[in-house]
Amino acid sequence: MKCRQKNSQYRCMWASSLRRNSCFLLLVFLISAPLFAQLPASVSPVPILTGTAGYFNFVTAGQNQVDAQINPVLLVPLGDRWLVESRAEFEGAFQRPDAGGPYGGMVSKNLDYAQVDYIVNPYLTVDVGRFLTPFGIFNERLYPIWIRSLQQDPLILPLSTESSDGMMLRGGFPVNAKVNLNYATYVSAVSSAHNNLQSDRNVGGRMGVFLPGPRVEVGASWQKLLQDQRTNSFGFHFAWQPTRLPLNIHSEYARTYQGSGYWIDGAYRLSQVVFWQKAMRRLEFAGRAEQFFSGQISPDAAQAFGLPGANTREGEFGLNYYLHDGLKVVGSYGRQFSSEGNLNLWTVGIAYRFAVPLGRVESQ
Amino acid sequence: MKFKCLATIWLLTLISAIGMASAPPRTHTATEPAVRSAAEADAMRLEGEKRFRANCGRCHAAPQKFPPRMMATIVRHMRVRATITDEDMRLVLFYMTQ
Repeated sequence: MKCRQKNSQYRCMWASSLRRNSCFLLLVFLISAPLFAQLPASVSPVPILTGTAGYFNFVTAGQNQVDAQINPVLLVPLGDRWLVESRAEFEGAFQRPDAGGPYGGMVSKNLDYAQVDYIVNPYLTVDVGRFLTPFGIFNERLYPIWIRSLQQDPLILPLSTESSDGMMLRGGFPVNAKVNLNYATYVSAVSSAHNNLQSDRNVGGRMGVFLPGPRVEVGASWQKLLQDQRTNSFGFHFAWQPTRLPLNIHSEYARTYQGSGYWIDGAYRLSQVVFWQKAMRRLEFAGRAEQFFSGQISPDAAQAFGLPGANTREGEFGLNYYLHDGLKVVGSYGRQFSSEGNLNLWTVGIAYRFAVPLGRVESQ
Repeated sequence: MKFKCLATIWLLTLISAIGMASAPPRTHTATEPAVRSAAEADAMRLEGEKRFRANCGRCHAAPQKFPPRMMATIVRHMRVRATITDEDMRLVLFYMTQ
């Protein structure tokens, strides 16, 4: 580095020293990785084919849509520290034409993620490949149909959650006995080579604080788009699972160039009801309230992006009945209010989670 | 200078990764060395259940117990996906496989 001006010499030396120190710290961190490394699992892991399958009827403003989908997830552990994981999405959405006639539609195929994870040490995991963008919590944690309590996507789901192609550093560690910290930071390259592998050029990160005692998590996300408008996006999330109630509360807020909004949902398992206990403990009541505010793009562009074309409010509630932990029957009703017109949203369906070992499951 | 530093780091990372990948199989396990008595195992199980409810229950209902080798894969996947801490992962794995 050239330092020609006298008044910049000090800054130059300082910057050089900082770089050297950073390199040294990074070096120490990487060398120490094996020392802090986790011990191997008590049994050697086996590759798994898991995922979800579902069949739903979405009735939106009186228009019925039949939706069948399967989302296989492949997990291939290698050694003590590596994991190759991938999820694809095959979804068929069929509607009867307005003029009448048989149901027709398209089957969409999408690769949600295909990544290689390397667990460097208890504090750091490096992911390379195509991954779910860690913006908020819905996209990464709550998206699978057997996990989500209501099958309709939140209105703000498309905001900053498209899959990314690049590298991510992430991890979770205890700060003390009462506080855990989790983080994810990533860089994504632009990709337009294939429809199923598209991504934007961006950087971003998410930080969360989890309090295991009261089971509360709060966090924030940020993303900087490094193309087009080079805009910033922000998000906040909250999750709470009270220890005394079988209740699960999640919430997100997102603010981006395309729009902003929030959702809050709760799912209450009726296991504390004193009558019909056998049935009630399998029943879950869920509700969601959400709002979307249009951003700086046209209504047509918003709709092409999967967003409402105008400011929208929505309320939804539903019932889920767990036949067993991986199989549930769902039903819900929602009402959407918008200047484009109010409408009813009905959903009935079934969601199933499967897991098949791709090898011997007996311990070696 | 910058390039050399980055190249050194990259080389050491590779060596470290290869070293770990080719390490001979260890005879001890994540759970076994810590378990010295039945009482201690019970305590770990209870703590594992607590961690399971706190971490996994944040997103989904309690799944059934899969065979241990499957659980080891699932817990590793969830460690990455849900950024669970190393200690929580070990205790949850112990709870789910005992």
